[in-house]
Amino acid sequence: MKRKKIDGATALGFPTWAFVVFFFIMPLLLVLWYSFGYKPDLFTAHSNDILSLDRYAEALDATFIGTFWNTLKIGVIGTFLCLIIAVPFAYWMAVKLDPKWRALALALVLVPFWTNFLVRTLGWQIILSPRGFLSDFLQNIGLIDGRLDILYTQTAVQLGVVYNYLPLMILPLYVAIDRAGRPLREASADLGANRIRTLFQVTLPLAAPGIAAGSLLVFIPLMGDYITASVLGGAQGNMIGQLVASQFNTAQNWALGSAMAVLLMLFIGVAVGVCALVALVIRYFVRRSRRVVFLGGAA
Amino acid sequence: MTGTEGLRALVPAASVGRISRRAVLSGFVVLTATGALTSCSSNTGFASSVLPDGKVEDHLNVYSWGDYSDPGNIAKFQKTGTTVQLDSFGSNEELIAKLGATRGTSGYDVVVPTGSYIPMMSANGLLQELDHSYLKNIENIDPLYRDQSWDRGNKYSVCKNWGTTGYVYDSRKITREMTSWADFLEVAQNEASKNVSVLEDPWEVTSMYFAANGIDPNTTKKADLDAAEEFLVHKLAPHIKAFNSSAVQSGMPEETFVLMQAFNGDVRQGILVADTPDAWKFVYPTPTANIWMDTWAIAKGAQNMDAAYAFIDFMLEPETSFRELDYIGYNTGVIGVEKMAKERKFERPDLVFPPEEVVKRLTPGQVTSSAERLVAIVNRMMAKAGS
Repeated sequence: MKRKKIDGATALGFPTWAFVVFFFIMPLLLVLWYSFGYKPDLFTAHSNDILSLDRYAEALDATFIGTFWNTLKIGVIGTFLCLIIAVPFAYWMAVKLDPKWRALALALVLVPFWTNFLVRTLGWQIILSPRGFLSDFLQNIGLIDGRLDILYTQTAVQLGVVYNYLPLMILPLYVAIDRAGRPLREASADLGANRIRTLFQVTLPLAAPGIAAGSLLVFIPLMGDYITASVLGGAQGNMIGQLVASQFNTAQNWALGSAMAVLLMLFIGVAVGVCALVALVIRYFVRRSRRVVFLGGAA
Repeated sequence: MTGTEGLRALVPAASVGRISRRAVLSGFVVLTATGALTSCSSNTGFASSVLPDGKVEDHLNVYSWGDYSDPGNIAKFQKTGTTVQLDSFGSNEELIAKLGATRGTSGYDVVVPTGSYIPMMSANGLLQELDHSYLKNIENIDPLYRDQSWDRGNKYSVCKNWGTTGYVYDSRKITREMTSWADFLEVAQNEASKNVSVLEDPWEVTSMYFAANGIDPNTTKKADLDAAEEFLVHKLAPHIKAFNSSAVQSGMPEETFVLMQAFNGDVRQGILVADTPDAWKFVYPTPTANIWMDTWAIAKGAQNMDAAYAFIDFMLEPETSFRELDYIGYNTGVIGVEKMAKERKFERPDLVFPPEEVVKRLTPGQVTSSAERLVAIVNRMMAKAGS
């Protein structure tokens, strides 16, 4: 057998997969491995001398489940809000906006990303504070009676996650809508569809991959986020990421923390799977209801 | 740290599809080789420290909490010919993880652990025993803050700053006089309900219950812990608005809460920027509260030992120490700084220098076998408060 030389592209791929192996797969396997261990004594964070599934039983208590539901609620609502804000915005950017301003609009969407995540979130603490300018403004225009009282509540977390993850929804949507192009929408109009029908039967179905990608990009990191919840959340906006972090940091129990992290990944996987299934079912029924039957055909 | 970082790391995965099996296999050879190399260097114990030779090095690496030393002091020390490289960590766990993982090769000379972590760190060989003959200024520290239960004879550490826990309340909303932890728990369930913040620290949160009921806050008895959990989760948690250690500094100027558990120096900072400082009252609660102490220590494997001793000794000089106190807002425990503070119009000295009878009744927090249980209790409280 003749040995083939490694081609250039493959060689150039080396840093990529070495990076993925070192910084993604290996840490992931390490977390999985730690989750079978235990915390041997006060001063040691983990040991794998005895392997068991006990940490999983320990992790799956009412606190974990309750906090997970809370997080799932924030995650689903947050993703949905991002979606309904991002769709019109991405559509406007890809279709309505003069192409010469598009780069600027994209840059403005991305600018907040240059600021540290924590700093951005802390900024909201100032805006939402009961004596902040938003509170003053809303009182002045008579929209609220007393001071604004949403800092350290679940509402604040909800707002914070939408703000923090919105660009991740806008970008794939923009790309998807932009790629679908004008001709198909024009064709739809030529064939007699009004604007609403074009939106629902041409534009949105073509943007579906963008919607799916954006939803995943928002939902998955959001479920693991603990900074937004720590900074804005207070007792009502407690998220599961904080629970995992408390095991690694305060309790110094890496085994239990790892088990929680693995469970969290599984749960998120299941949640994504369920959503995907629901989407497929909806698509099936939508397609069936819109099926065009050609009379006088083979049948 | 954030969810988005993982995503950024994954972006190059677009080219994953082009990676052939052979390239992957050849890469594994490299990985295995690297693994073998790293395994050679581990398990050989700790790198040993370079002992002092009387010649102060021109470089010093200090690993401390963020913004935890007066830059003026650092600049002054650098004039003696030693460049100081300051790095910061955000938690004791982070410090321990770094020193533990590098096994004496972290490059850090001076570190700043919290006292209650000293037993853990010395047991794991992370700290260098101090030679007091190089620290003549150790005598400047008030005996009250030397020879602590977690480091007898100051074998590994000397006091850098200390503080205690209490609470602050808005006297416009809470009119009764408050003096104890029992008052805190009582008011939290009544007029302050849903406007209470507590520290994001399991020891501190649970110690309120223990102190109010005459139990040692460092208790490890199961019955005590069960009783604490019962009360804290079912009675107190529904009234708490936030578990947040930094809430107090913005909490007073922004009037987010009416009752806040807090460290004394943080309360001082908050009161100094509040519009209505007189409305806020701070309590050193009876019967006891935590006394925590951040310390100067030397990491095992330190390479600049003379500079490390010189630096710590410099920080213990009364003038330097006063500037530290003035900058950080926490007592340094050095004799004479209180007098200087009072002479030099240091604002609100009462929040940095509690009366001696208060200091004497404080209990140093310990990391005990109940640490994990305390975390579980507070996690349950958070889940309860959020439900």
